[in-house]
Amino acid sequence: MHFEHTEEQRLIRDMVRSFAEKEVAPSAAERDEEERFDRQLMFDRLAELGLTGIVFPEEYGGAGAEYISYAIAVEELSRVCASTGVTLSAHLSLGANPIYLYGTEDQKQIFLAPLARGEKMGAFGLTEPMAGSDAGGTKTTAVPDGGDWIVNGSKVFITNAGEADTYIVFARTDREAEKHHGISAFIIEKGTPGFTFGKKEKKMGIRSSPTMELVFENCRVPAANLLGGEGNGFKVAMKTLDGGRIGVAAQALGIAQGALDAALAYARERMQFGSPICRFQGVQFQLADMATQIEAARLMVYQAAWRASNGMSYSQYSAMAKLMASETAMRVTTQAVQVFGGYGYTRDFPVERMMRDAKITEIYEGTSEIQRLVIGSALTR
Amino acid sequence: MKILLVAEYRDGKLLGSVNELIAFAGKMGAESAMFLVGSDSALPAYAGTLYLADAAACGEFNPDVHKQLLLDVVAREQPEMIVFSHSSYGWDLAPRIACALKAAQVSEVVDVEGDALIVPVCNAKLRRTVKPKTGQTVVTLQAGAFGLADAPVGSPTVEKVAAAGTGKLEFGGYEAAEQGGVDLTKAEVIVSAGRGIGKPENVAMIAALAKALKGEYGASRPVVDSGWVEHKRQVGTTGQSVAPKLYLACGISGAIQHLAGMKKSEFIVAINTDKDAPIGDVADVLVVADLKQFVPMLTEKIQAL
Amino acid sequence: MKILVCIKQVPDMESKFKVAASGTWYDTADLAWRMNEYDEYAVEQAVQLKEQVGDADLTVLCIGGEQVKETMKKALAMGCDRGVHIADDKSAEKEPYQIAGIIAEFARDKGFDLIFTGMQSQDRGSAQVGVLVAELLAIPSISTIVQFTFAGGRIETKRELEGGVKAIVRTSTPALVTCQLGLNTPRYPTLPNIMKAKKKELVSLPVTDLLKVEARQETAKLFFPEKKGGGLVLEGDVGPLADRLIQILKEKTGVLA
Repeated sequence: MHFEHTEEQRLIRDMVRSFAEKEVAPSAAERDEEERFDRQLMFDRLAELGLTGIVFPEEYGGAGAEYISYAIAVEELSRVCASTGVTLSAHLSLGANPIYLYGTEDQKQIFLAPLARGEKMGAFGLTEPMAGSDAGGTKTTAVPDGGDWIVNGSKVFITNAGEADTYIVFARTDREAEKHHGISAFIIEKGTPGFTFGKKEKKMGIRSSPTMELVFENCRVPAANLLGGEGNGFKVAMKTLDGGRIGVAAQALGIAQGALDAALAYARERMQFGSPICRFQGVQFQLADMATQIEAARLMVYQAAWRASNGMSYSQYSAMAKLMASETAMRVTTQAVQVFGGYGYTRDFPVERMMRDAKITEIYEGTSEIQRLVIGSALTR
Repeated sequence: MKILLVAEYRDGKLLGSVNELIAFAGKMGAESAMFLVGSDSALPAYAGTLYLADAAACGEFNPDVHKQLLLDVVAREQPEMIVFSHSSYGWDLAPRIACALKAAQVSEVVDVEGDALIVPVCNAKLRRTVKPKTGQTVVTLQAGAFGLADAPVGSPTVEKVAAAGTGKLEFGGYEAAEQGGVDLTKAEVIVSAGRGIGKPENVAMIAALAKALKGEYGASRPVVDSGWVEHKRQVGTTGQSVAPKLYLACGISGAIQHLAGMKKSEFIVAINTDKDAPIGDVADVLVVADLKQFVPMLTEKIQAL
Repeated sequence: MKILVCIKQVPDMESKFKVAASGTWYDTADLAWRMNEYDEYAVEQAVQLKEQVGDADLTVLCIGGEQVKETMKKALAMGCDRGVHIADDKSAEKEPYQIAGIIAEFARDKGFDLIFTGMQSQDRGSAQVGVLVAELLAIPSISTIVQFTFAGGRIETKRELEGGVKAIVRTSTPALVTCQLGLNTPRYPTLPNIMKAKKKELVSLPVTDLLKVEARQETAKLFFPEKKGGGLVLEGDVGPLADRLIQILKEKTGVLA
């Protein structure tokens, strides 16, 4: 057992960090303020760096790296801009990965390869107004019609929506079946007649990442776009989310690290009572707790990623990593604001944004409560 | 001890760094001579022998020829030390000389301590004491490390030298500094305006001082928020982080957001009416004055130099 | 065309440095290491030249312990064809003339048309090695370049002088140039290229085969400069104040030179 990154992983971290610091960080506060997504910076550039298909094999346009490298990339982007982190994570883990996991060879060539190369951007539509954590409660329907499927319904809180080109959408194909069994997954492309976007959410955090509603009104989807077979949608969704949780966990880890770095730099500089505040034990204890929690979360995130890359079961591990990392991010960013005091509450310093960004990691891709359910049921099975 | 000073000449002018070479010789208590590829119409104020080669004849930038000229002078003078400025001219020519003389070269000297030289390491975070092991040593001096309290006086005894031959490098002339696009992070001198300038009309006064110092002007956030100065000139956490050689803060109190963006500057001068303003904590020099009177006066005096 | 680019691995300059037990260098434990910033410009320019001429072979050279191979991999991922690692655990103790001697010894008789180096290292900062290598090889060198073009065996560069002025300098190959910040925008090593770099040739040579010169200087001591004390406070009439400040600027900074 060893805890060292490989040379390749260190090079990847170095590359993503310098890109993130030099190019993503300078506009992070402004994009947050203006709720502006910058596709060129937040996606096209990632494609040029080979990040949009990190984990997929070269024959599908990927780079053939493993999940730890993916986690490192999301972590480093999120360290300076959580919105850019989630753009990559939603695209790769949620938009592209289900096609890699369940797609036919044709589907991989047609849909996965352009996603992996970053020519197209991916998104994932599972959540509905009345079906959040309860995916089995999906109300969107797909009805067969002359070899095609007619999709009706809507999806809410969809990350990358509007910007993404390729969407994985879940719809009920069998009303009679027991609730989890009658759902199927479809690959639906932007521009398909009957597929439109609803309102754009005004969010607390990750404001530079677009979140919108997907609306399907008699949207005709070719049979060839059914993903993973009829009635297998729930399985596709759950397996996808297992991987997605590594992305969100890495995002949370990055946010937490960014907040610690900012707090540490500030504590070294901020003078009170004639000495830098980092000399005060009260502040040191806070910083020590922050760093310790982050390190624990990091080990869990990398372990889940390592299991995923080595063909081992990781559902429970990614749930634990996501739970740990997201709650760590929330705690650490809150403490970071506290270290900054009044300045931390203003938008002159990044910790205010990081605290707002952290909250979503406890909610999306399964709330902390759902993670505990996943872990608990695995333990007591 | 005998040292040979290598002065610089560019575009028809003797460079002012010659005074630092003279100051260094003084500090070493050494006998000195000077070498210059320049012109007899621009001689340094220096009481000693000046070996002068004509720049018009052998080129202002022609390392191969300058090397040969200088080696000839070294052969005549037999100095124990050959001293350059750590400048684009000095760091280019010094290694060529050191290599030819089989001498140690010590770069960017900031101080001397007996027979040892002190140089910066890791962006000046650390210092290193260096001992040459060769009989002759080549050194380059950090700009500003050896200042003179008073301008040197005297006129040199000129000994003309000339060289035969050409070099392998072809000099194609100078290109003036680019005008236009502001990039504070690349400026060597920044003069920044704070709330203390009072009104937008006073930005011109700050810009004029910046120009006199061949630098750029910047501003603190309140000045930018008021629309007096464009955002790309803002220094601080929501603007640029800068580390110029000289940062002049005019009427800036020193809010932490501003300090975070400029405190890595090499030398900081604050001009403020408030002696207790926090900018004083990071400033090397705090001038307690009304900047509306002081800044124009300073600008005028610098222009007159 | 044969191109050589020489790089150095240095600590991240934001690191908290400590003086090593030897007292003559910094403690290398717990530092983050990266490619010397000036060398990144050198690598980028070398790769651009290789892309321009097409038929070129680009070697990256680095002196140091086993750990410098990681920085060499970055250069390979940026586009260098092969790596030559000169294995030397004590490279930090070597002075610029010895380093230049090692590189020149390697490069002699290899027929490199162009050699790129950074203008200085961020840690030692002597700004000597590049020019010394050229002198030892008896080829022309141009230092501190901020622009580079190559055509028909001739190179044209712009050297950066003080105050933003540039000097245009030309020469013929074989030649060496030392690269200054701003010469170009170094590319990021893309992820697929990082993966491919693993398969490129990287040979190690023992430094003892190439070190033929003696040190000409030694470090007696490494230390931290004294912290800035409280700043100087000047008060009085504006005329004398301005004179006093000008005097201080002349003595303490190079900006009025």
